[in-house]
Order: sequence, then structure tokens, then C-alpha cells
Amino acid sequence: MKKTISGLVWLIAIVGFVVGFYGLYQRITTGHIHTDYGSYIPWGLWVAAYIYFIGLSAGSFLLSTLVYVVRVEKLEKIGKLALFTAFGCLIAALLSIWMDLGHMGRVYRVVLHGNLRSMMTWMGILYSSYFLVILVELWFAMRVDLIKKAREGSGICSILSFGSTDTSPKSIQRDRKVLKVLGTIGVPLAIAFHGGVGALFGVVGARTYWHSGLTPIAFLVGALASGGALLTAIVYVWGPDRDREQFREMMKYLGKVVLALVLIDFLLEIAEYFVGMYPGIPDEAEPIKAVLFGKYWYVFWIVHVFFGVFVPSVLLFKNAVSQKVKNGAAAIAFAGLLIAVTFMAVRLNIVIPAQVSPEIEGLQYAFTGPGLEYHYMPTMMEWLVTIWVSSLGALLFLIGYTLLPIVNEEDREVA
Amino acid sequence: MAIIDMSPGEVRQRMMEDLRRALKRPMEKRRWAMVIDLQKCVGCTACTTACVAENHLPPGVVYRPVIEKEIGRYPNVRKNFLPRPCMQCENPPCVKVCPASATWKRPDGIVEIDYEKCIGCRYCINACPYSARTFDKGYYYSDGTPYIPEYEKKPAFEYGKVWPRNNREDSPVGNARKCTYCVHRLDKGMLPACVTTCLGDATYFGDANDPESLVAELLGSPRVMRLKEGFGTKPATTYLV
Amino acid sequence: MKDIRKKTVEIDGEKIKMTRRCFLKSAAFFGGIAALSQVPGMGLVDKLASAGTLLGQNAYPFDKPENVIYTCCLQCHTACTIKAKILDGIMVKVDGNPYSPMNLNPHLSYDTDPKEAVLYDGRLCPKGQAGVQTLYDPYRIRKVLKRKPGTKRGENKWVTIDFDKAIQEIVEGGNLFGEGNVPGLKDIWAVRDGKLMKALKKDAKKVQMGKMSVEQFKAKHSQHLNKLIDPNHPDLGPINNQFVFLAGRIEHGRKEFAKRFVKNAFGSVNWYEHTTVCEQSHHIAFNEMTAKYKGGRWHPMLKEYFEDYGGGKHHLKPDVPNAEFVIWFGTSPFEANFGPTHWVSYITNAQAKKNFKFAVVDPRLNKTAARANYWVPVKPGGDAPLALGMIRWIIENKRYNEAYLRAANRAAASLNGDTTWTNATHLVRLSDDGKRGVKLLRGDECNVCDQHLFMAVSDGKVVTFDPYAKGGEPVVGDIFAEGEINGVKYKTAFALLRDVVMEKSLEEWAKEAGVPVRQLIELAREFTSHGRKAVADMYRGPVQHTNGYYNGTAIITLNLLVGNCDWKGGMMKGGGHWHEDGSKKGQPFNLKKGLHPGKIGSYGITLTREKWRYEDTTLFQKDGYPAKRTWYPYTGNVYQEVIPSAADGYPYRIKFLWLHKGTPALSVPGANSTIEILRDPKEIPLIIADDIVIGETTMYADYIFPDTAIWERWGTPHLTPACPTAGSKVRQPAVESLVETCKVFGVEQHISMEAVMLAIAEKMGLPGYGKDGFAPNLDFTHRDEFYLKAVANIAFGDHGGKDKVPLADREELSIFKAARRHLTKATFDEARWKRAIGEDEDLWRRVVYVLNRGGRFEDASRAYVGDKVRHQFKSQFNLFVEHVALGKNSFTGENFSGIPIYEPVKDAAGRPVVFPERYEFQLFTYKHILGGQSRTISNYWTMVSELGENYVQINTLDARRLGLKDGDRVRIVGPTNPKGTIPILPGEEKPVVGTVRVEEGVRPGTVVASWSFGHWAYGGRDVVVDNKLIKGDRRRLTGICPNASMMVDPAVKNMCLTDPIGGSCSFYDSKVRLEKV
Ligand SMILES: Nc1nc2c(c(=O)[nH]1)N[C@H]1C(S)=C(S)[C@@H](COP(=O)(O)OP(=O)(O)OC[C@H]3O[C@@H](n4cnc5c(=O)[nH]c(N)nc54)[C@H](O)[C@@H]3O)O[C@H]1N2
Ligand SMILES: Nc1nc2c(c(=O)[nH]1)N[C@H]1C(S)=C(S)[C@@H](COP(=O)(O)OP(=O)(O)OC[C@H]3O[C@@H](n4cnc5c(=O)[nH]c(N)nc54)[C@H](O)[C@@H]3O)O[C@H]1N2
Ligand code: SF4
Ligand code: SF4
Ligand code: SF4
Ligand code: SF4
Ligand code: SF4
Ligand SMILES: [Mo]
Repeated sequence: MKKTISGLVWLIAIVGFVVGFYGLYQRITTGHIHTDYGSYIPWGLWVAAYIYFIGLSAGSFLLSTLVYVVRVEKLEKIGKLALFTAFGCLIAALLSIWMDLGHMGRVYRVVLHGNLRSMMTWMGILYSSYFLVILVELWFAMRVDLIKKAREGSGICSILSFGSTDTSPKSIQRDRKVLKVLGTIGVPLAIAFHGGVGALFGVVGARTYWHSGLTPIAFLVGALASGGALLTAIVYVWGPDRDREQFREMMKYLGKVVLALVLIDFLLEIAEYFVGMYPGIPDEAEPIKAVLFGKYWYVFWIVHVFFGVFVPSVLLFKNAVSQKVKNGAAAIAFAGLLIAVTFMAVRLNIVIPAQVSPEIEGLQYAFTGPGLEYHYMPTMMEWLVTIWVSSLGALLFLIGYTLLPIVNEEDREVA
Repeated sequence: MAIIDMSPGEVRQRMMEDLRRALKRPMEKRRWAMVIDLQKCVGCTACTTACVAENHLPPGVVYRPVIEKEIGRYPNVRKNFLPRPCMQCENPPCVKVCPASATWKRPDGIVEIDYEKCIGCRYCINACPYSARTFDKGYYYSDGTPYIPEYEKKPAFEYGKVWPRNNREDSPVGNARKCTYCVHRLDKGMLPACVTTCLGDATYFGDANDPESLVAELLGSPRVMRLKEGFGTKPATTYLV
Repeated sequence: MKDIRKKTVEIDGEKIKMTRRCFLKSAAFFGGIAALSQVPGMGLVDKLASAGTLLGQNAYPFDKPENVIYTCCLQCHTACTIKAKILDGIMVKVDGNPYSPMNLNPHLSYDTDPKEAVLYDGRLCPKGQAGVQTLYDPYRIRKVLKRKPGTKRGENKWVTIDFDKAIQEIVEGGNLFGEGNVPGLKDIWAVRDGKLMKALKKDAKKVQMGKMSVEQFKAKHSQHLNKLIDPNHPDLGPINNQFVFLAGRIEHGRKEFAKRFVKNAFGSVNWYEHTTVCEQSHHIAFNEMTAKYKGGRWHPMLKEYFEDYGGGKHHLKPDVPNAEFVIWFGTSPFEANFGPTHWVSYITNAQAKKNFKFAVVDPRLNKTAARANYWVPVKPGGDAPLALGMIRWIIENKRYNEAYLRAANRAAASLNGDTTWTNATHLVRLSDDGKRGVKLLRGDECNVCDQHLFMAVSDGKVVTFDPYAKGGEPVVGDIFAEGEINGVKYKTAFALLRDVVMEKSLEEWAKEAGVPVRQLIELAREFTSHGRKAVADMYRGPVQHTNGYYNGTAIITLNLLVGNCDWKGGMMKGGGHWHEDGSKKGQPFNLKKGLHPGKIGSYGITLTREKWRYEDTTLFQKDGYPAKRTWYPYTGNVYQEVIPSAADGYPYRIKFLWLHKGTPALSVPGANSTIEILRDPKEIPLIIADDIVIGETTMYADYIFPDTAIWERWGTPHLTPACPTAGSKVRQPAVESLVETCKVFGVEQHISMEAVMLAIAEKMGLPGYGKDGFAPNLDFTHRDEFYLKAVANIAFGDHGGKDKVPLADREELSIFKAARRHLTKATFDEARWKRAIGEDEDLWRRVVYVLNRGGRFEDASRAYVGDKVRHQFKSQFNLFVEHVALGKNSFTGENFSGIPIYEPVKDAAGRPVVFPERYEFQLFTYKHILGGQSRTISNYWTMVSELGENYVQINTLDARRLGLKDGDRVRIVGPTNPKGTIPILPGEEKPVVGTVRVEEGVRPGTVVASWSFGHWAYGGRDVVVDNKLIKGDRRRLTGICPNASMMVDPAVKNMCLTDPIGGSCSFYDSKVRLEKV
């Protein structure tokens, strides 16, 4: 079953990569011409994909810190998996946002000549740090296993072990310490940068929908919820499951955590929408109205509320919280998958609606042209690029999983 | 002489002289300002087109749209027109958010975008409360026709530099763009294109720091209105209502 | 504003996305410049080096006069003076010319150094600026196209053909399309000798007058009868007349060029331009009300439109800067009229000074009305009732300027300080029933004195006088005199007017006008509250009706009641221009008369029967009333009549049609049959066109010659009368033409209307072209040689050499040359240019002075003298227009009215047009400021980016009633176009369908659409050239043109309703239905 799923994921990732490649080709050869975002809606699918992936990354990273910093026993064995998921998602996130830039070649400027008053500059700096932290952390987490695998003849692992050969308990001990330190640095970093991504939106005074103190918090909770959910699904397929009982416990645990996070996130959402709608001030209410009753109402109600909150909550409640069901791992994982996937809808509903009402009423008729519109539908090319980016992230994960000691061989189910 | 008594020719001459005087002063002493008289604006959009042509703006890029609004019920109906260039904010949110330090406020108050530095992230576009910035995606107006004529590729002269449009990737393609107050013309002693072409003689320009200038005089009018002052942006572009 | 999604636009049932377009890979266009396809490379690496280069310091080049050429726009017919900014030979920006009153208010003094002047950009309307995109339209044609033999007209399958070959085929004729033989020009150029032409003309006239019988004529000219269209009707003229040149509003300069060819060299009377589709009845109203009486006839009657309008003025305008109140009837100076570039600032500045108010009478809240003190949403066609109602109120309340109106002659006028007067107190002979004014009473009619003296009653005594006489006794007439002398009943003209306005009560007039009586009175009171500083102006709205002439005269009459003409702030004739035609004494080149050795001349009844009284023809002798089609004694160039008349063969069929810069298939109301006629080679055997693109009408031609665009050619447009100072505008080539060159008379030149004429002249040996074509040593081998003479005349001035322009100094001469460094010899050849003006170095330097300034402009300070304008009309207004009163409707034989009246909408047979009830909306149209006729659709900056499409605009109330909302699609259907379609090709009917926009600013019960959209060609249609498919650009096909659904005249059946006096097409009388699709 898990093999089938894994195989299916491989298949989807490869197909996605190949098909999505056309989008990449278009993006590289024609720039932003075939995109639907532009001037009045400057940020589109790729920005949403970016905060989506970065949320997933931050979420799984923060869960990994439960292993390396808080030392939650139950999760012991999925530390590396969490880290590696965070890594894959981060790559997808960075690629998404890079594709979105008008001048990809100048991205270095953000770090080298950044404007420290810009939240985006801080993003740049924090990402770079986060990226490093993850890499280093991953290395230390895998070092011993890398060396082992290298000895078994894995070329990749021998390269990646960077000449380290020490597998003594002392060195393992040292690794743990390093991991703890890095993890500890990672926590505020992840909170900072993901809360920061929230702030990046939150500080835009011109967009009332984003402009709220709650935005960074919502981003964080959302990251945890979606990242946790994704990890839950991943753990089910690729996690260490030789020890059935332990595995089930772990799944339940994850399930509970995710359920809690999803509900908190939903609560925040309700609070935001209610407060925004109540006084009926157009600037605030219009975007929310667009989300709830606009042309794409189903994205909120069906994709997000129904498949992203209601169905998974029921599943999780039944399989993770209530004691009745014994073997609910698959259902929990499925709930996680639903949450993780549909969270894209939440991200889209953050990015797009804020931009759909004109800053000055009537502007939309004054001058028209590509990008001078207040409605947005990602183009085929945008979808393709996002598919490519997601597939790339998935492939990275799958390849890494295959080649690297992310989940120790001895923890994997034999079947 | 009160402006109401001045002939349009005198107004123009005075703006030219104001401009020449301002250019003699050091840049940091000047504060360029534009004043738009909404009672004289007739919504002809000559300014919109002048700006598009002057700066060789491609499809989707516009610096000075004119927003039209119908007021009242038949037969008591009128129309209002609101031209919207960049406000050249004293306190520009677009500058604050730019991660690449590509957009900055010059000493003369003009908010400039350095096309060679801009990474095209469009953060500034989102941050501008006036939607004054647009993104150059690299179109030509003649896309879809038998060929792209030469005029679409000829350089614009924004900020006094040469910006040819030979392909779909070199700056300013991929950049945020916005009204420059026509600094390339100011430098040469010429008024901005939207000012010179304004059919209603509704657009005034000059150095607000020079108490003798026409705009300084107009800025003291009780009819003064600024857009969305609540954002604390302190626009240099001012309206008379 | 309402939400109408602009993202997708529907064209003929197909939705297109306007904003993101795919890239078509199409072949080179018409074999011209190769397609420069864009192959974007890798966008990843920044090429910092290539862009943003700082050249020394500020690189902006347009502060240097050598990068600028002053010329003229013609995106609409206002023909504003412009400044073309040129970068590497490409016109990249167009601005206003600061030397010209069109663009700066006041304009720079004429002697301003070009180095200083270049720092000033004048105002310019958005269309003018978008001219760049007309000039460099990728769909411009560059080579001669011939309809592919074996294909039908309009199918748009073309082959490119060598210029010389094309000329040869046109001249020789033959089996050109595999459809049988077609007559060539050589077969049509029948009378080739000026003397013979004159002799035939003289005798034909005798036949008309009954002084010679047809038999006598035939006997006398027996050898030449084969050269006549119909020897039984010698007044139809020679076969040469079967050559027809049909232009849109061809501009001054080109007009004269083309007339020389058509009328003087080829010998055809059938040279047409388009003003009847425009606002001709307004011109005719002015012309008739200002025409002068000289020795027994109203002299001269409408001769050549615009040029010599018969002593009358065809256009008077308010002096806005000094006026206190202006009423604009059916026109929007902020959007259209003549034109926004020049007028808007006058109005906004006047209004800002608070002592100026204005009213706009228009069923739609046009942009001018949007800013007006009064918006009067009149019922379309309600202008005459409104004006007549106002006149009634003014008369009843004695608010008219009595002293002015009582002045019966020049002397009396000057006692009042006036330069003009009216014939309000002149006596008019009444019809037997005493109801109609027949004719101005002349001494001979009641046997009191000389036949050319007019009469008035002064202090109860009848006096006779010549009103125009300088000096003499002032005659102050009694305003309401009536009586009888020697059995002849009379009334004053003013009394007749009173009778007309008293026919209905104020309430009735207001009801007919569709305005509250309160508003009518308010308007009349305001109008009469500003002394002479109130003006009633008008343009198309009131006059493009079957009763347009009368509506026009009613409005002009308002002005007479306050006596505003020639006064500061009143109505004025404008500054006029220096005579480029060389007709003033001493001017170097008289292009009007002379300079045409071997001139053939022309005679005969014009195809559209204009300037002909039916009663004076042999056809009348044969057929009597009713005529088969309308005759137009007062107007000229009845555009809409040309093609339908040819098809009816009335008065005769034609053999050759040349379409130039006009698109009757699109721009004329109810023109579906025009399209059907054009499509059929049996109707007109050979059609050629010159055009810059393949247009809606030229697509039906057999040959299309590429034309130079307006920035590539010459012209000498005139200033609008709204300019109080004199000016002569010069259009000159600013850039090298994109069109291919040809060789004519051995000289390389760009293919163009002119080159085609010259080439035909060369091929056929027409007189007045080639070596010594103008005179010994003055060749005519290139267009320059004609236009530079006109420029030289302007430079020389009108006053015998006393008002020459200054000499260009050395620096100016070098600026002149430097500014033309991008032009090849085909365009600019200094030696040829100098030769064209007779190698006169002094004159050359003056010509350069003019060209360096884009024309000649009188100083702004010379606008006024004292309380008057400097350039004055100084003559009589005909409140009673005798000339018209004497004319007859050619169907009914009834006389027209000499006094403005309110007449219902009528067909050609004089029957009122009644619309079935279900046609509930009155349809009208207007011009958007961004649309320049139908020829700006290639202007993506404006037409696509700012507008996208136009709309079927209706009032909220109507929309609610019909359940229509923004964005709905409706078909406009009229009684004579019940399907609401346009017959483009067999099997291809274009629906007259548009998108609804619901507004408050539209009069309920009416529906309106702006003009300039609704194309089916002009680069929007796929065409095949040399077997290669060239894809059209769908962005050009958006929107709607409702003309096809306008009413076809039930009496003539293949043409729109038309004003028999003014000749105007009826645009605003049709009722229609909206059908949701
Ligand atoms: N933008 C632009 N300007 C132009 C041109 C152009 O193509 N575009 N062309 C030039 C030319 S050739 C011309 S002739 C002029 C025309 O200049 P205008 O006469 O000013 O222009 P139109 O819009 O054709 O005029 C019709 C006006 O009359 C109104 N109207 C319609 N029916 C009636 C009626 O029965 N009574 C009254 N009172 N009003 C009515 C319409 O709403 C419209 O506003 O414009 C010149 N200037
Ligand atoms: N519905 C509606 N219809 C109208 C009007 C309206 O207001 N509403 N306005 C009317 C008025 S006022 C007028 S004046 C007429 C104008 O109508 P037309 O006199 O017929 O003129 P245009 O529409 O300008 O069409 C000009 C044609 O000439 C060709 N052309 C363009 N530029 C050039 C050139 O440089 N050289 C040559 N050789 N050819 C060229 C193009 O094929 C174009 O189709 O339209 C009338 N029609
Ligand atoms: S208007 Fe917008 S773009 Fe202009 S300075 Fe202000 S914030 Fe920046
Ligand atoms: S788009 Fe350019 S100017 Fe705007 S914020 Fe990004 S880098 Fe700065
Ligand atoms: S100042 Fe210059 S750049 Fe700004 S709107 Fe006017 S024309 Fe455009
Ligand atoms: S050019 Fe002047 S009058 Fe016309 S829309 Fe612009 S500001 Fe208004
Ligand atoms: S008003 Fe007409 S002629 Fe003048 S600039 Fe505009 S389009 Fe050209
Ligand atoms: Mo016209």
C-alpha cells in the first residue's frame, strides 16, 4: 500500500516535473508575458505558492525542533524526515519566489544591498540563515548514517559526508549538542522568518486586508498546521514504521497536534473575517466578501472549509482523539494530506483578495492593459511553473529519501 | 498678480521661469510639486497619452490615468475627472518596502526607481496606496501584429538615461515603473509632458520650496486637497477642488 | 462608473481577451520591411551594460531644434499644428507647435528663435499624440495591391503588382480580372482639348436655357457626339465625367492638387469630398445667411466648398475668451468640434475667471456638458423647436437687440457701432395667401425703383437702398412693418420670423424640444442677459438631420437677436489665412488660375446633382416632377449620393471610381446598398483606391495604391474660425515614408495619391504635368513642386510683397537641413525644392523660415481692435434667405423656406417619415475624444488601452424597463435593416451588435454609441497577399458602429435620409429597437 503510494508520488512528481517544465521554459524565454498578475494585482499564484511552501517548511522545521530541542521521544525517529521535508519545501518556496522576480539575476542585491527597513530584505537575510541552519542541521543529523551508508558503498553519501568518518559515540553526542544548538537557533529563526513573511504582508498599510497585527500570528499558526499536516502524511508513507505500535502512537500524536493547530488557525480566520466584515467598511469588507461570496467562493467554502477543515477535523477527531479507532493511521495521514494540500487555498485567499479592490475607485476603467485588472486567474504557465516547482520539491525529497539515510533502513517496514 | 487674473500664457511663462530659477538652485533646495485643478480638468486624457508616448510606456504600464466618475441622477448629472500621477510622497511607503534599495527619494523630492537595481519583486507596487506603480512585463503594443515597429523599441529617456526596448528582458522590462515628474525634461528646462499638453490648462508644476513660484502660491489655496492623506504619505502632487 | 469587465470583449459573437495576446508568427507584410520577430533570450542573466546607459549627462535630445519638424496632424479634421520629435529618423513623440494659436494660448511670437521655441511643447489632444501609432501601423500597405484575378471584390485576396504595371493596366483597361473587358482611363478621357470643352459647355448651357435645341446642338457638334455621355442631354457633359474621384475629407493642398488633376487635366466635374456626412448643413446655413447679393444674383452661390463660399461665410465661432455666455448646440468642444486641442483651454480658463458660463444642448451628457453650467438634454432633432421657442420668448419679452435688428444697411449699423447688420427689416414679398415669404421685395417688383435696390419701411415710409453700400444714408427700418405696395403684399423678414415662432406656444415648443419650458426660458433669459457677449454655437448635432439646414438657421438667428458678430466675446469669422493658392495680387505662384498650360477644364451635371437646379436641366424638361433622385441647388459634394447615384444611373452611370481617404461603407448612415454596389463590377467596372491600410471601403477596390501618411506628406490646412488671429498651417514631410518608391517623370518618389496622379498624367500625356508642367522652367514631376509653391505664396504674403515673412538666417538654414538629415532625396532634395520655387534665393530663405515654424501665424496681440475682433465679417446677415426661398424641392416642386422653420423628418419625396411604434429608441452617435473618425483604430495607446471598445449607451430607466444591464449584448435594428447586419460579403453578414452600458447621462428614450469603432477591416481582417495569409488584429474589431441600422430613404431606397438643402446625411433621425442577443 505504502509502496503504491510512494510509487504514485514518484509518478506524479516525474510527470509534474516533465509537464511543468514547459512552464519553466516559457517563463525563462518569455518572462512575465504569459502571467496574469501584473500591476493592480502584483502578486499571484507564485507568491501564494511561496508562502504556502515556506509555511510548510517552517511548520515541519518547527516540528523537527520537537525532536532536537524539546526531545519529544515519540517523534525521535522522524527528526531527519521533518528536517528534510522542511528542506524540500524551502527549495520549492525559494524557486517559486525567484520565478516571480522581474530580474532573477539581481536577487543577490537583496542581501548585498538590502534596505533594512524593508521586510523583504529581512526575509532575504533570514532565509539565507535558515537555509544554512537546515543544511547544517541536516548534515549533523545524518552524519553518522551518511558515514555508515558511505561505507556500504553509497557514493553520494561518501561525498556528502565531507570526509567525516568519526562515528564514535562521542561524536554522536557532539552532533546532538550541535543539533540542539542549531535547533534552538532555528526556532526563533523559523518563527521570525515565517512570522516575518506575515509581517511582510501585515505592514502593507495600503492593503487593509493584510494590514493587521494578527497577520504574522496567523501565518505562524498556519505554517504549523499545514507543515504539521504535511509531515503527518509523509510520516505515514515514508516514516519509520517497523515498530507498529510506536508508529501508531506517533501518528495519533501528530494527528492531535495537527487537529489543534488547524482549529486554532480556523479560529483566527473566523476572528479576522468577522471583525473585518462587521463594520462594513468597504476597504476591509470587500476582500473578505470576495473570498466568501465572490467568483471563487468555492475555493473558500469547498476547498478550504470543507476539505481543508471540516473533513480532516472529523477524520482526525475520530482517528486521533477518540480512542475508539485503533488503527487510524491511514485516515490521519489522509487528513494531513487534505489539510496540507488544501492549505494552498488559504494562501491564495490571503494573497489575492487583498489586491482585488481598486485603491481608487474607477481606476480599473481609466486605462486597461495586461496587469491592469482587479481580477486574477493564474495562467496555464503559472500553474505549470508551480507544478514544476512542487514536483521538483517532491523529487528532491524522493531522491533524497532514496539515496540518503533520512529514515534509517532498519526503521523501515520490510514489506 | 492673483492667478485668476493671469492669462494662460502668463501662467505658462511663469512656470517656465519658476523652472529655470529652480534649476539654478542646488537640488536639495528644490521640492518639485504638481498641482492639478480638478475644476479645469475635462477628462480629455491628453496627459495620459502624452505620458505614455513620452516615456514609451508598454501595454500595462501607465503613469497618469484619468479616473472618470458620473455623479447624480438624470437630468441632474455631471462628471468628475481625476488624473492620477505619482504623488511623489514626502513619506513614500514604496521606498520603505523596497528590498533592493532600488527606489529612493531624491533630494528634490522625486521618488526615483533605479531600473538597474530593481529586482522586480513588486513589493512597492503593493505598498503604494495610490496604485501609482505598474509592472513592466515586457509587452509591445504591436504584439500579435505582423511586426513590432521601430518606435516601440526606441529608447525612453527616463531619469535622463537611455532605455531602449530592444527585447523583452532588459530594464525597464521586469521593473516597477511610475511617473518620474519627467526629470529628464526638467533638467533641460522643459516642463513635464503632462503639464505642457494639458488641454484644460489644469496642471501646474514648479518648485514648492520657492515662495515666488506659482505652485507655492497655489499650495496656499483653500481649495487644496491631497489624496488619502490618512496614510501619512504627504503627497507632493496636490489637487485643487 | 459601472462595472463592465473589460477583460474580454465580444466581436461578432466571439469573445476575445484584450489584455494578453498570443504572438502570431506572420509573414512580412505586403512585401515591405521584414517581420522583426522577437525571440526573447534567456532572461536570467542581467545585461547591465545594454540598458540604462548614461550618455554623458541627460540624454534627452528634444531640446534641440534639429530633432524636431513642425507639421500638421490630421487624426481628425481639425488638422492641428504639431511638432514631430524625431529620433534616428523615427517619429517617436508628437506635441503641439508653440508657434501656433492651436496649441499655445497665446502662442509664441513668430520671430522666436527655434532654439528657444523648442523648449516649449504646445498642447495636443490625445489622438494627435497617438499619431505615432497610425504612422507606424504594422498593417500599413507599402506596395500596390491588385485584386487577385479570379476572386471577388472584397474577398481580400491580393497580389502585389509593380507600380508602373498597375498604372499601365488602369490606363489601358482590358481583361484585367478575367471577368471580361474593363474600360481604361484612355477610354474615358474623351474630350482632350480645352477649346472643345469650352465650346461644348457653352452650347450645352444654351440648350438648358432653351436658347438652342438639342437637335441644333447635335448638328453643330456632330463630330463629337461620341464624346458625350448622352447626346440627347448635352448638359450631362462629356464621357470624362464618368471618371469619379471620391474623397473623404481630403485636406487643403491635396484638394487643390487633386482638383487640378480631375477637373482641369482629366476634364471631369466629378470631384467629391465628404462634408455632407460631416456637418455640411451647418456650413450651408451659415453660407446662405451670410451670402452677399451682388447685381441680380446671390453671388456667387456655393461654388467650391471651403474655398470660395460665395462671399458668404461657412463657419462662425464664438470668441470664447471674451464671451460671457455660450450655448453649444449638439457639439462637444471638449471632445470633438474644431477642436479640443485649441478650444478646451479657452473654455476652462474663461470659466475659471467666473465671468463665463456655458450651456450644452445635447441629448447626451457629453464631456463639455459634464462641466457646463446648464445641461439641456434636448430630444434629438429638438433644436429648432428649442431655438424657435427661445426666439418667441425673446420677441415676446422684447429682449432682442432692437437697434441692431433695425439697422437695415451698413450705414445704419455703423451708427450703432456695428460692423454687421441683418435684413430683419427688409421687406419680403408674400405669397398670394400671405403666408409665405417669396422673395425680398425689390424696387422693380412694385415698380418703385431700380431692380437691385432693397426696401424697408422707415418711420412708416417705404425706403429703397443698397444695404452693402459704403457710406450713404442710414436706414433704420420698422421691425414689424407689413402692407401692400402697388398690389404687392409684404412683411418684414422679422415679422415673418415672428409669425413662425408664434405658431406654437412656449409650452408646445418646449414639448417638441423635449425640455421643460422652465429650462427653455432660463436659457433664453441667460442668453439675452449678456449684451453682445453671448453666442449660440453649433455643430453636427442639430444639423445632421433631414431638416438640418433649418435647425442651423434657427440657431444662427439667435445670434442675430443679440447682434453679437464681430464684437469681442461675440461671434467671429476667425483670423483667416494667407492665400496659399497664390490668388492674391503679386503672389509668386497663382495655383488657382494659370500655371496650367493646356488646361482642359470640365463641364456638365455633377453625378450628385449638386449646385444644379433641377428646373434648369434637360432632364427636367423630359421628366418634370418628381425627379428620380434629389437635386441639391445649395450644397456641394453630396458624399452619400455618389455611389448610389452611379448605380441608379441617374443622371448617368460611371466607369471609373477612385476612392481616396474616405470610407463611405462605414462612415455613412444606412450604407448597406453602397457596399452591395461596390461589390458588383457590373455597377462600376473599375475601382481604384489609395489608402494607408486596407480599409472598410477600399477593400472592395480593384487596385489599392499605398498612400503616404499625414506625417510623410504635404498639405496646407486652414485655421478654425475659433482662432481670432490669422494663420496658415503647413503640413510637411517629417519622416521618410514607409511606402515604396516609384519613378515618375524620371524622379524617384514615394507612391502616394500625388504620385499616382503624376504617373497617370505621364502615361496619358495629360496637360500641365512633367517638363514645364506649370510654366517654362517650372516642371511638375514631383509633389514638392506643387506644395512648395503654396508655401512660397504663404511666405510672400497677401499684400503685394509688403508682408513677407523674415529671411531665415544662416543658423536657421542649417537647423533646417540638420532637421531633415534623415530624409532621402525622394522626400527632401534641396536642389529640387529650390527649383520648385524658381531658384529664388530670397524666397527660399523665407520658405525655410515658414517651414521651420510649421506655417505662418499672426501675432496673438493682433486679435482685437478696441471692443471688436480684428478680422471682421463686416457684412449683412440674411434673416430671410431669399436664395433658398427661391429654390424648389426637386420631388415636390415646392419652394423651400427663407425663414427658419420647424419641419418634421422627411424623405426625399417630401413625405414625413413615420416609424412604427416598436422602434422605440431614437438613435444618435457622438465622437469620443480618443476616436478620430474611423481611422484611429490602430492607435493602441488610446483606442485599445483607454477605451477597449465603445458601448450602446442607454439611460437607467430604459435599461430597467427592458431588463438590460451593463455588459449585455444587444443588436440595433431599424425599419430598413430589420436583421441588423452589414453585408460584408456573400455569406458574411456582420451583425450590428454592441455591449450595453447603462448611464444616467443619456436622455431616456434615446440610445447612443460613440463613433470610431465597429470596424471589419483596417488591419482587423485576415487578408491574403501573394498567397500568404496575414492575420488581422482582433483588437481592431471591437465595439459597434450603428450607421448600418440608420434609416434608408424610402423614396430613393439605396441611400440614407438626406437634407435637400444642406445635403447632410441624417444621422440622428432614425428610430431603432434593441434586441438582446
Ligand atoms: N475627437 C474627435 N474630434 C473631432 C473629430 C473626430 O473624429 N474625433 N472629427 C472632426 C470632425 S470631421 C467634425 S465634423 C467635428 C464634429 O464635432 P461635433 O459636432 O462636436 O461632434 P459629434 O460628436 O459628431 O457631434 C454630435 C454631438 O451632437 C449630439 N447630438 C446628436 N443628436 C443631436 C441633436 O439632435 N441635437 C443636439 N443638440 N445634439 C445632438 C451628440 O450627442 C454629440 O455630442 O469634430 C471634429 N473633431
Ligand atoms: N456613427 C458615426 N458616423 C460618422 C460620424 C459620427 O460622428 N458617428 N462622423 C461623421 C463625420 S463628422 C465624418 S467627417 C465622417 C468621416 O468619414 P470619412 O470621410 O469616410 O473618413 P474616415 O472615417 O476618416 O475614413 C478615412 C479612410 O481613409 C483611409 N485613410 C486613412 N488615412 C489615410 C491617408 O493618409 N491617406 C489615404 N489615402 N487614405 C487614408 C482609411 O482607409 C479610412 O478608412 O464620418 C462620419 N461618420
Ligand atoms: S504615490 Fe506611490 S509610488 Fe508615488 S511616491 Fe507615493 S507611494 Fe511611492
Ligand atoms: S519592484 Fe523594484 S523598486 Fe519595487 S520594491 Fe521591488 S525592487 Fe524595489
Ligand atoms: S510628470 Fe511626466 S512621468 Fe509624470 S505623469 Fe506627467 S508626463 Fe508622466
Ligand atoms: S490633460 Fe489636463 S484636462 Fe486633460 S485629462 Fe489631463 S489633466 Fe485633465
Ligand atoms: S484635434 Fe484632431 S487634428 Fe488636432 S491633434 Fe487632435 S486629432 Fe490631431
Ligand atoms: Mo466631420
